Amino acid sequence: ALRGALRGARPLPVPRRGLAKPAAPQSVRPLREAEEAAPVFQYAGKAAKRKDRVFVWGFCYSGALGIPSFVKPDAGWKRPRRIQATPYRLETEEKISSAACGYGFTLLSSRTTDITKVWGMGLNKDSQLGFQRSRRDRTKGYEYILEPSPVPLPLEKPQQTRVLQVSCGRAHSLILTDSEGVFTMGNNSYGQCGRKVVEDETYSESHVIHQLKDFDSRVVQVVCGQDHSLFRTQKGTVYACGWGADGQTGLGHYNITSVPTKLRGDIAGVNIVQVSSYGDCCLAVSDEGDVFGWGNSEYLQLASVTETTQVNVPKHLPFKIGKIKEAACGGTGNVVLTEEGNVFVWGYGILGKGPNLIETAVPEMIPPSLFGWSDFNPDIRVAHVRCGLSHFAALTNRGELFVWGKNLRGCLGTGRMEDHYFPWRVTVPGEVVDVACGVDHMVSMVKSF
Amino acid sequence: VRFLPAPGRDCATELVPTMVPVLAEHPLVRGPRFRRLKIGAGHRLDVKASGVFVLGISHGNKLLTDLYNCHLSRAYTVGGLFGKATDDFSDTGKLVEKTTFDHITREKLERVLAVIQGTNHKALLMHSNIDMKTQEAYELAVRGLIRPMGKSPPIITAVRCLQFAPPEFQLEIHCLHETQQYLRKIVHEIGLELKSSAVCTQVRRTRDGVFTLDDALLRSQWNLQNIRSAIWSCQLKVQAEIERTL
Repeated sequence: ALRGALRGARPLPVPRRGLAKPAAPQSVRPLREAEEAAPVFQYAGKAAKRKDRVFVWGFCYSGALGIPSFVKPDAGWKRPRRIQATPYRLETEEKISSAACGYGFTLLSSRTTDITKVWGMGLNKDSQLGFQRSRRDRTKGYEYILEPSPVPLPLEKPQQTRVLQVSCGRAHSLILTDSEGVFTMGNNSYGQCGRKVVEDETYSESHVIHQLKDFDSRVVQVVCGQDHSLFRTQKGTVYACGWGADGQTGLGHYNITSVPTKLRGDIAGVNIVQVSSYGDCCLAVSDEGDVFGWGNSEYLQLASVTETTQVNVPKHLPFKIGKIKEAACGGTGNVVLTEEGNVFVWGYGILGKGPNLIETAVPEMIPPSLFGWSDFNPDIRVAHVRCGLSHFAALTNRGELFVWGKNLRGCLGTGRMEDHYFPWRVTVPGEVVDVACGVDHMVSMVKSF
Repeated sequence: VRFLPAPGRDCATELVPTMVPVLAEHPLVRGPRFRRLKIGAGHRLDVKASGVFVLGISHGNKLLTDLYNCHLSRAYTVGGLFGKATDDFSDTGKLVEKTTFDHITREKLERVLAVIQGTNHKALLMHSNIDMKTQEAYELAVRGLIRPMGKSPPIITAVRCLQFAPPEFQLEIHCLHETQQYLRKIVHEIGLELKSSAVCTQVRRTRDGVFTLDDALLRSQWNLQNIRSAIWSCQLKVQAEIERTL
């Protein structure tokens, strides 16, 4: 009926073929009206939260990256990946607050009150990730863990205690909780787990997790060296146990210590706010900005105060570089961060000032222009420094990650296999909050945009 | 010979060729007769953009090639608008999508700009073809002088947010080997990264190597005296830059 009415009103329209609209020049008004009438899409709400992500990179065969398809690919024709040279996203169930990389294994922990608080992946030949029951044989455990698996902890109040920090050494690991002390697991052949050394103990598939509670106050930081452990308490004292042949326990002798003992020397009475170690040398920072060192000094780490190659009592390092905020120890080199945001390195190896600087006993500053400082961005500052065995990492206040040092099996994460003699950016899709450095792999905690 | 409207009529719609007196015909004028001028153009500036455009006149064309080989950076002021996405990344194109933008803050924009700067800085070092293991590479990197001296994809050396008033924002971009369409694409990608969309409203070149806005002549200033004084004042700068780089 409508059609008939229209027919009477207008002449018959010319039959068209093909295009519905004539090819006349488009006038502005209908276009603008069409634009206004277009639907508006919303991709993110006003209060959209930034997600927390974990990125890993480095050597994959040990399973320390936590992605099983790198070691055992999904399809038969794919080949296992030896090195992950750029950051790769690791999916985790919870927000990871602390991560630590050991020698071929990784521990991730979250501040949740759920039962599962710590996940481990990588090498487990010394039960450094606890006992991971094998699914094929209920009496045996796994030697290599390829994806983040929960670490069972014997907590008294599992739904109230929170795990604050984890730390990993060569074959042992330490887990710090807020109310139940420190849990240690792994190799104890030098007493690094804080319990008595048992002769001929087999550490693989062991269920032993030792709990350490008697310190003078609550432990607030745990640090693992290669075969020794350091504990820092709230009062500012430092305890140590483990192998001491290089003096890294700082107790005045070169023997093994199997019970955490308080350190004296230049540290006695000083309020220590940060301890760091990864190899056989240790550094501690006091609240007044002084730095103390002990342990191995074969690579000139402590050569500014002494000629001996092993120092077994903490010694004050009188550097005139300003108040020190943070220190990090590597295998052969050390790095400190001052209050102004300057980075100083010393020791042996690729220190970050070009290929000509191989060793120095006195700290040398790395120019801030290498970290992105320029007239255009004058307020970029380095916020944290971290050390792996032969490489260094620095985080700026803008959330950028700079790495330099020896690129062992792709641990630097820059996408190139060569060593970097000065700080080089790592492209991570997000703002890097924290990073943990290992021997040949790294883990970073990142906030998305 | 000039084409002038026919004299004597009010509504002149025809143009009549007439001989106009020219200074060069005067018997007392000496010197070579310029019939043509060889003018060469510097780095391209497309139709929708504006700003500093370098021209070389006759002997200056050789300097233009030298300046091109110096690979100096250029500075642009880029204006953008959140909420729209078009097919050619500018606000005169066909609309593709409209999105909300109320979740965008200046902090998020600065974060995205920091990431862009970081990745481009890495590209700068990689395309410069210098062996990173040498001490000279380290010295140049400290001073910030590493840049690609050959062909390379567009690289942004610095980005800064000048103004942010949603939905509009303005950026200052210093870049190398770029085209204006690449800058518009960058604005579009910034919009995508912030989970919204953006179009580019304005591209204005504020600096081309050593030539800044102060040296540039406006359309109303295109006469002989101004051009001569501009060439005179820029000569020293150009010489110094060429000697420094080559």
